[in-house]
Amino acid sequence: MMVLLKMDNVEFGYSEIPCLQDVSLQISAGEFVAVTGPNGSSKSTLLKLALGLLRPKSGEVKLQSGKPDGTKLKVSYVPQHIAAFNSGFPSRVHEFVRSGRYKEGSWLRRLTPKDHGIVEQALRDVGMWEMRGRRIGELSGGQKQRICMARALASEPDLFVLDEPTAGMDQQSRNALYAQMRRQVTQYNRTVIMVTHEQQELDSFLDRTIELTRKEEDTWGCCTTTLCSGHFGLAE
Amino acid sequence: MGMLHYDFMQRAFWAGGIIAVLASTLGVYLMLRRQALIADMLSHVSLAGVAAGTYLHINPSLAGFVVAILGAIAVEYVRRSYRTFSEVSVAIIMVCGLSTAVVLMSLIKGTSKSLSSYLFGSVVAVNTSDLRIMILVAAAGALFFFFLRRPLYQISFDEETAQTDGLPVKSISLLFSVMTGMIVSAAMPIVGVLLVSALVILPAAIAVRIAYSFNAAILIACAVGLAGVFSGLTASYRLNTPPGGTIALILLVFLVSGVLLQKAILRVYRNRVKHESSIRNYYT
Repeated sequence: MMVLLKMDNVEFGYSEIPCLQDVSLQISAGEFVAVTGPNGSSKSTLLKLALGLLRPKSGEVKLQSGKPDGTKLKVSYVPQHIAAFNSGFPSRVHEFVRSGRYKEGSWLRRLTPKDHGIVEQALRDVGMWEMRGRRIGELSGGQKQRICMARALASEPDLFVLDEPTAGMDQQSRNALYAQMRRQVTQYNRTVIMVTHEQQELDSFLDRTIELTRKEEDTWGCCTTTLCSGHFGLAE
Repeated sequence: MGMLHYDFMQRAFWAGGIIAVLASTLGVYLMLRRQALIADMLSHVSLAGVAAGTYLHINPSLAGFVVAILGAIAVEYVRRSYRTFSEVSVAIIMVCGLSTAVVLMSLIKGTSKSLSSYLFGSVVAVNTSDLRIMILVAAAGALFFFFLRRPLYQISFDEETAQTDGLPVKSISLLFSVMTGMIVSAAMPIVGVLLVSALVILPAAIAVRIAYSFNAAILIACAVGLAGVFSGLTASYRLNTPPGGTIALILLVFLVSGVLLQKAILRVYRNRVKHESSIRNYYT
């Protein structure tokens, strides 16, 4: 199984005091992994380091850029908040989700009927098809999270990096999302890394949990990896 | 339409029309990227270039144009250093530009008239060389906004998501800043340094409020910008007032009217929904 993400003794801090230290982990293609830990344990920071949005002070972060067949690895990131959503961004749901298809081909490529079909399916998968014409600013927090997920699904990535994607969602929507992510892993051999506080309810869908544990007062690290009840043997 | 018999008014209308479309489009992106004050800041930086040009006997418009582009590049680098407080970069570069302009202006003797036309805008200030600069900026702007419309949309939403989508966010942001500098300095002869941001931000503020889609926001902003500039230039000619101030006041009237109209429409809509639901409840 190809190793998609590898971190070796990574240390990072926004100030002189490191918030992450001695972080070493490995995630392979085709795994569904949850990153857990209490509030302020730098879970989001860990994701940003993995994506290259932040640079570690020391240690090494290696995210594969290509796949064995020579094509580029496609990554879709769903952040915790998109600030533009709160400012009445003048965009419709459909327009936003459609932007997930823009990474295919050139910037001027005309979207094909196939692209529109994928966008429609993604919106149906998250239960937002009926609201496709709505302005984004009019949506609730949970609905905003669902259209972010739809955009990620529409881009058909090899790796989903999701930072608390279920925040503001009801139980039914959360379960639908977990099942959808499990399907992405099982059917299409895609990889999912998800920061979550709902590890208990997600457990049966996961392969592994990576838990950030406290090292010192403000420093977290030493990931504890646990195989989950729903794992499919990929992490062994 | 007698005013259009004058060459200088024809130039002002051409230049104003070009700038209205460019500035309004730029304004939508600037507003959505929370960089609304950058236009104001760059106009002050550009003033330092105008003052330097006047002092050194170089074409002031051209000097202002070059300095605004340099300022735009500088602000992009300072913005990255102050990621959390990105508005600090605007304040730093503005102080730098304005203080340089003030000192240079004090060294220039007897040329306050030409500088005041840059401060407040003047239709007479638009000469053929300004018009040429504007046409060049318009061509560059049209290409920029057409070819980069999708990346700019994604970056306006969220820079980090755009970066993970594989977009060269840093390079596009830098190009965007350069484009901002070019448009702001090209707009200066018409609306003046002090009111450039009115032309950039007010049409966008109206459009973002009422538009339902991104393309609609840009089209509405352009239409409002054109209406504001053309009616402002006409009023300025008839009332003998500075064009910059007149255009800005007209755009403000548009903004206030737009907000009031939107509120009135929403109130009527809500009342109708309430009325219909009370009738439905009565019969069920």
